[in-house]
Amino acid sequence: MESLLQHLDRFSEVLAVSRTTHVSSWDPATVRRALQWAGYLRHIHRRFGRHVRIRTALERRLHNHWKQVGGSGPASVPGLTSFRALERCDLLLSQRLLENPALGDAAFHSLLQQLFPGPGVLEAEEETLQGSLALLARRRSAVHVLRLNGYGETSVLQEDSVIKTQAELLLERLQQVGRAEAEGPSRFLSSLWERLPQNNFLQVIAAALLLPSSSPQPPKEPLEPDSPKTPGEGSQELVYWLLRKSDIMATFCRSLPAGLVTSVAGRHPDLFQVYLGLLTNWGRHLHYDLQKGIWVEAESQDVPWEELYGRFQSLCQAPSPLKDEVLTALASCKAQDGDFEVPGLSIWTDLLLALRSGA
Amino acid sequence: MAQDAVGLPSDYQFWMWKLSVWGQASTSETQQDTCRHLPQFQEFLRQMYEALKEMDSSTVIERFPTIGQLLAKACLNPFILAYDESQKILIWCLCCLINKEPQNSGESKLNSWIREMLSHILSSFRFDMKEVGLFTHCLGYAPADYYPGLLKNMVLSLVSELRENHLNGFNTQRRMVPERVRSLSRVCAPLITLPDFKPLVEALLTYHGREPQEMLWPEFFDAVNDAFLLKKISLPKSAIVCLWLRHLPSLEKAVLHLFEKLISSERNSLRRIECFMKDSLLPEAACHPAIFRMVDEMFRYALLETDGAPEVLAAIQVFTWCFVEALEKEDTQLKFTLKTYFPYASPSLVMVLLQHPKGIPQGLWHQPLTHISEMLREIVEDQAHWSCRGPFESWFVLVHFGGWADVAAEHLLMSAAEPPEAWLWLLAFSYSPRDRSQWRAEAMAEGKAVLSRLRKLLRSPTLSARDVHAAAGEQSGDPRPPACPWLIRRLTLNFLLWAPGGHTIAREVITLMAQTDEITHEIIGFLDQTLYRWDRLCMEAPTSRKLARELLTELRVHV
Repeated sequence: MESLLQHLDRFSEVLAVSRTTHVSSWDPATVRRALQWAGYLRHIHRRFGRHVRIRTALERRLHNHWKQVGGSGPASVPGLTSFRALERCDLLLSQRLLENPALGDAAFHSLLQQLFPGPGVLEAEEETLQGSLALLARRRSAVHVLRLNGYGETSVLQEDSVIKTQAELLLERLQQVGRAEAEGPSRFLSSLWERLPQNNFLQVIAAALLLPSSSPQPPKEPLEPDSPKTPGEGSQELVYWLLRKSDIMATFCRSLPAGLVTSVAGRHPDLFQVYLGLLTNWGRHLHYDLQKGIWVEAESQDVPWEELYGRFQSLCQAPSPLKDEVLTALASCKAQDGDFEVPGLSIWTDLLLALRSGA
Repeated sequence: MAQDAVGLPSDYQFWMWKLSVWGQASTSETQQDTCRHLPQFQEFLRQMYEALKEMDSSTVIERFPTIGQLLAKACLNPFILAYDESQKILIWCLCCLINKEPQNSGESKLNSWIREMLSHILSSFRFDMKEVGLFTHCLGYAPADYYPGLLKNMVLSLVSELRENHLNGFNTQRRMVPERVRSLSRVCAPLITLPDFKPLVEALLTYHGREPQEMLWPEFFDAVNDAFLLKKISLPKSAIVCLWLRHLPSLEKAVLHLFEKLISSERNSLRRIECFMKDSLLPEAACHPAIFRMVDEMFRYALLETDGAPEVLAAIQVFTWCFVEALEKEDTQLKFTLKTYFPYASPSLVMVLLQHPKGIPQGLWHQPLTHISEMLREIVEDQAHWSCRGPFESWFVLVHFGGWADVAAEHLLMSAAEPPEAWLWLLAFSYSPRDRSQWRAEAMAEGKAVLSRLRKLLRSPTLSARDVHAAAGEQSGDPRPPACPWLIRRLTLNFLLWAPGGHTIAREVITLMAQTDEITHEIIGFLDQTLYRWDRLCMEAPTSRKLARELLTELRVHV
């Protein structure tokens, strides 16, 4: 076991080096050995896929390693993130070497000879590196061809293939990190929040919260019996994180389109409660401009009436429990304000009136 | 290969020109032209690779100074990279150009350019997906983790769009206009062999718009059909049926492909034919009458063109067995009337022929047998009946269910009571539909005489090959050749298989009988067909079966 873990450590180092200029000192023999190592680890993946104890040990080691090299730091290098990644570690290594201009000509030549032996001999074998690389190239180009012709893009955000794929990867990664870290993936999420463009990340989070819990995800994993069957676990982690990070939750509710937040709220009651709280809070910041006869913001960052109304309206168009709770909440706010029926005195009265006439 | 290399320069110019015209395949016209040429271009690339791998890098540059341009243009065209094996061959070509130890700056430059190209094909995110690149990178993933999932989602999204369209055409929100469906089928044509595209191919094939005319590209059908025939793609039966119903050239091609397979495979046993048949999916698809009729027409032509070659007869018979089996599996109740499958034959005749002998106890077979024989005879001999199509149609139907004629031959010998003449008529008719009543009368008279001699021999305590041979009429003293020697051989062979002492003399009789290769082949065909039929009908005949199998093996060794 210990030697296996050491092997893993060595290979992780090789992989880390493979992206640096240090490869300039590699000769053909080094390249060959590195690929052999990767092949060996792939074999380990196949051999111990069902072996829970070994898998868990390897997974822990990989995770610690990933954290050490700065997996959550700004300059991190994606490496082997999980046991599953071992399945394609040879692919990963090959791609890095192919892309690394520091690799010398002789070493590169030998790399090509090993990766692309040409037609014939190896083709009958179950899965060659040559085949996997070509398949990847085909898939990339197929994606490109479809996008070139405007397919696979949609205005409905949660159905957008790019966002959806990111969401699936996010959930898968959250499960892996969640298993390896005692306190769950919370710190990991926060580090992502700091490093990624916020709007894109929020969209991905929303899409992840909307993925059907029955979707067979992550794909192709017959080998790993204890891998989570549903993304439910990962999306629960996301909910916990959002509930703990009130400022991020506020940005989430504020910057995403009303319909999208409504859908998320419909799926996650805890988030709905927070959203409703935020909406009423935002409403309290508005005051009535007697001269213009409209509700206006006190400060520039306040939510304007139109947006507030739009968000309430979207919730009221959602299926029943959401709509009823929203109306009850508005009614109780209105009661607290004195239960006026005349417009211009309480924003809740006006909102209810507008919603009724708008519906 | 030397020859290939000779033709290369002119091809080279052509493809160089094409690639320049195509550019990065950004307009619909260039895309169409690209898609149309992809198979040929792949072939060219293959030849190019064969030529390149024999030369060293500098020779290549000398002979093809613009090779870099050619390969670069190909690398930048996403259709080429996505098609079949083109990306792989392109990589091989690039590998041929690389210098292990570059001697000058020119060679170094070439090397770094090749590395750029390879990296363009194999790694790094596409320029339009930078934000995705950062995201995956931060999660700890590589493009290899991302692209398969993205492609899957894109395909699923298109599939659900098509389904929604199908179910709810008036839903304007996600409606795919016909032109978009059409162009999707065009874009997909070169991509269909990617396993990820299977659901989309299926959805397109089963998608019918509201427009009366076909909305999918013919090239799409061609591509799917070719891939299916070459086993590069596997699709459910329903999708294949849609393909063949929507695009007749594909169905024709599938039938011809089956014919080619049957012809090119040496020594066809019926079991093998059955495997080819089932593998082709044609018998199952034929449950749809339109497909059945088309396949059947092609069989009819094959039969007419070959003047009733026994191989074609056997193929039709096996096809029908498989077809009937599929029809029974498909539904307990027939969805279409038999008339739709056999429009030119008498429906009641088809009904009786279709009766599965397996469902009838062996002892009662004589009833349907007599019924079939009499009915056929009536139809054939009654002028009014065949006024339109002649006895050929009745014969063609009988050929499908040829097993009945073989059962007749067996029963003529084995039935305890004197067999009815109608059975003999059936046997003679099954040999040829041609209306030469005089010929048939002669053949029947001969058959009757041989039959009575053979039946007598059945009761004799000792058998000799000479007796059997004599009974078969070879030494009857009549100098004229028999009218239908085939009929006599058929009766004699059945006698050998069923007579109690048949096995002791069978080899000797067969040696006397098989005077030409043609006759030997006929005997082999008979034995194979008989064994196949017994298996199909689950006949218990251990002794006869053993003998037939032994004879078949021995005869096959000799041819």
